[in-house]
Amino acid sequence: MSRRRRVLVPASVVLLVGCGSTHLHVPGVLSPAPRPGTEAVLQAGFARVDITPPPGVGLAGNGPEGGEARGYRLRLYARVLVLADAGGNRLALVVADLGLSSALLHRRVAALTARTDGIGVDRLVIAVTHTHAGPGHFFEAAGYNDQGSSVAGFDPVMVDSLTARIARAVHAAVADLRPARVAWGSRAIWGQTRIRSLPAILRNIPLPSAPADAPGLPQEYQLVDPDLVMLRVDQRDPTSGVFRPAGAFSIFAMHGTGNAPSNDLLDPDIQGLVERRLERHIDGGGDLNRVSSGFVPRAVYLFANGAEGDVSPAWPPQSRCNVPTLAPLPALNGPFTRTLWEWRAPTATHLGACRHAAREAISVIGKNVGDGAVALFDALGPALTDRLELGRSFATLFLRDSARALGICSEPALGLSTLVGADDAHTRIDGWRLFGLFDVGLEQGSPNPDVPGCQGHKRQLLDAAFRGLANRLFISGNLPSYAQVMVLRLGNRVIGAVPGEVTTTAGRRMREQMLASAREAGQPVSAALILGHANGYMEYVTTAEEYTAQYYEGGSTIYGPGEAAMFTRELGRLAASVSRGDTLPATAAPPLDLDVGHRRQILAGKSSTHVPAPRIERVWCSADTLYAWLQLGAAGEWPVAAGDVSTQARVEVVVNDAARTLVSWDDDPALEMHLRSRRGGLAWWELRWSGVKGRTYRVRIPSGVESDPVACSLP
Amino acid sequence: MRHAWSCLAGLVAASPVAAQLSARTDVSVAGRYVWHGISRAAGLVAQPSLAFGLRVQRLSLESGAVLHYELDAASSGELSETGAGGRHLGEQDVWGAASFVLGPTRLHAGVVRYAFRGDSSTGGVGSARNTTEVFASVSTTSRYLNPSLEAWWDVERVRGAFLRASLDLPVLGWPFPPYAFVFVQTELGMNIGQGPNPTRPGELANFAKRGITHFGLGLGTEVRAGRVATLAFGARSQLNVDAAAKADGPGRTRDFVVWLWSGVTIVLGRNERGQ
Repeated sequence: MSRRRRVLVPASVVLLVGCGSTHLHVPGVLSPAPRPGTEAVLQAGFARVDITPPPGVGLAGNGPEGGEARGYRLRLYARVLVLADAGGNRLALVVADLGLSSALLHRRVAALTARTDGIGVDRLVIAVTHTHAGPGHFFEAAGYNDQGSSVAGFDPVMVDSLTARIARAVHAAVADLRPARVAWGSRAIWGQTRIRSLPAILRNIPLPSAPADAPGLPQEYQLVDPDLVMLRVDQRDPTSGVFRPAGAFSIFAMHGTGNAPSNDLLDPDIQGLVERRLERHIDGGGDLNRVSSGFVPRAVYLFANGAEGDVSPAWPPQSRCNVPTLAPLPALNGPFTRTLWEWRAPTATHLGACRHAAREAISVIGKNVGDGAVALFDALGPALTDRLELGRSFATLFLRDSARALGICSEPALGLSTLVGADDAHTRIDGWRLFGLFDVGLEQGSPNPDVPGCQGHKRQLLDAAFRGLANRLFISGNLPSYAQVMVLRLGNRVIGAVPGEVTTTAGRRMREQMLASAREAGQPVSAALILGHANGYMEYVTTAEEYTAQYYEGGSTIYGPGEAAMFTRELGRLAASVSRGDTLPATAAPPLDLDVGHRRQILAGKSSTHVPAPRIERVWCSADTLYAWLQLGAAGEWPVAAGDVSTQARVEVVVNDAARTLVSWDDDPALEMHLRSRRGGLAWWELRWSGVKGRTYRVRIPSGVESDPVACSLP
Repeated sequence: MRHAWSCLAGLVAASPVAAQLSARTDVSVAGRYVWHGISRAAGLVAQPSLAFGLRVQRLSLESGAVLHYELDAASSGELSETGAGGRHLGEQDVWGAASFVLGPTRLHAGVVRYAFRGDSSTGGVGSARNTTEVFASVSTTSRYLNPSLEAWWDVERVRGAFLRASLDLPVLGWPFPPYAFVFVQTELGMNIGQGPNPTRPGELANFAKRGITHFGLGLGTEVRAGRVATLAFGARSQLNVDAAAKADGPGRTRDFVVWLWSGVTIVLGRNERGQ
């Protein structure tokens, strides 16, 4: 090969791979020094914002098996709790019904809230529930925008819309600040979660063991961290002066993977049911059956995720659908036509059955975890106090540039076990062998026996032939280069906010280190917590021992086996340096240079100015389901500047009685909204409500349109 | 032309669910035209084809036509269907078939009419070779192996059978859109009746003797562009066994041939790929 060709060939490859990628320079705006408020007491404020995008977005989290959203089941929300202590220190906690967190989103929101509310990157946590039925296209790294689902691309409108909505909700929560009383507590919830990579966790030294009070369950159920840890918040009623239950913030380790991977509806998953269960409980004054608050609950429950890296909800096997298989396409395969290939989808019957099984599991697990949250919330009533010191520390890690100092690999890499998916959602290439004979590493638990280089046991793309070349050319540039790490102090708890998915054992080690460091530094803390999926995303964090097993989580620990130790050290350092009443140095949040992948318009960029009135075309019942065809406004747009807080339902189902008794609306697990078509710029929907109880119903659009009555007999 | 495409698309889209209509068009360009293992043109050939299908439940009725254009002007002594100096249509074939799907297995049976347009006086293949074959095939699909066995019977000129066994092996599939596939194709041809017939010395023959005619091996790549279009390219090689398969022009033989190919396919109708 000539010298010229030696240069041109790799350069062409790099150009091809990198062409069209979007680069962003994102500054980090720190909080100004706090000013003592007028109320010299603890204050709390809540807000909620609807972040359900229109259909057409990719459902991020399941890689190639994540489909395009065809509608929604429960609405997606971002819930906000702002706490302010007597010294004017504010902390904003946001928990959004999204799949992955994003440093880009975090910094964009902070840039707005720092100006309006004094809440910069160091006082803002944006965590996500990790529902795998939330939208993509707003992440900080190209790989997650381009391969997070089967709908590829980075959409600036998605970022702008989420930013505007969340920033406005933070502002609303600040406006809602009122004297408050709070209480911390925890409750073990067993049997609803399990370790999904048991052989990996069993490599840890010392061997993890179940606590003495663990019920008699299989080992994978006993080794989880079962604690649901909650901060209950009561606010003072401005008129009566009485403190009333207002909401809560909690952490519980559980993947948002209740839905079957083939699900095609936006949905907050199990977490959405848990959130609503406690919110309805609070609104109903303890009566879960009393729906007193209408469409949007008054109470706000932020149900954040913990060290859930290796923790699945206890879904049954029948809730996981088969994946598409590679097969010749039987399309007019005449005597002279070439064989075409396709990814052949499972049958509709199979998909329907596994989706139904998944919905049943979500319902059961959501109820059980929700009941635990309700019981804990009620139990915390007597422990309420108005004392809660707030502090924080914040750091931005330059993972590539400071790799040596951080003890990690300087170049991120994906393992082949990542490409096959975890047990929650295997991908279509899981278990693939070359010609059916030769192992190419496309399976979990298949470590590299040679342990070459920094990435150790990780098997990488084509590494047997080309070592790390394929990773360098096609993968590593699409992975994140930064990690924002934060430690919050909320009273006697320190919370480590990690931009990734920490496994149970890694999380336990981080908590122990944070607690020891905080105590050594004289902080009056009694417990430490891990808040996962916060302020960014860099995939998984396993212990070095778990990494050697190269299950899905180990393959996805992109900076190598030193990651968990790095976070443990950093969190310990930050826990010891939590401060309040000050500003952090600019070095805590230097600008980030992000490669976010291929820009693509997925959401419409502006609102329609002329949309005809909605109408109901047809309503009918079949078996236990009521159907309706409706036209509801413009087709795919999700304007940045409007419609950010949905204060009412778009559609309701009422009983055909004089009072028009409300029985369902479009935020009910039994009601699904499927987009049928987009015609003339308008969205035509199909409503499916499976709560029929043998009565006569009407479908109603709150703006005043109501269908004729339809009688539904019991199946 | 655009109107014709619109009509076709509309017809396909409007077909009722019970009877599914589909259409497929291919345009292939290859460095060699090989039929039943026999090289018929050694230069660049373009092969446009069109096919329609009507599927009712498991049964499909299909029909189509394919044209074989030689894009290189062959000189005397070069292998060509059109003959020396030609650069035009060398062959046109029409076919009809019925297929039946039984789980992963597919049965095919049909008939092909071959019409040759070359000039035999300049070394081409003329209408005297026009013939008809009936065929039947069975193919099946599994995760890694996609075998197929075809039986061809010339019922007009040569009067005999030829068997072709093939095995398609997917190497890998890219799971994200645009989907891409890499695959290996192997084939083996066997003449069991299309050789010289001693009892009818004047009858045409396709092969020199009974038995294996050739082994083929190819590697291809397919990239899906949108929902209906597919771009493909690849390389084929063939180890020739029978003297007819070795023939590479008057007085010239080749034991081993390699050629490149590429093609564009558009599939309309309910057979289009959903994933």
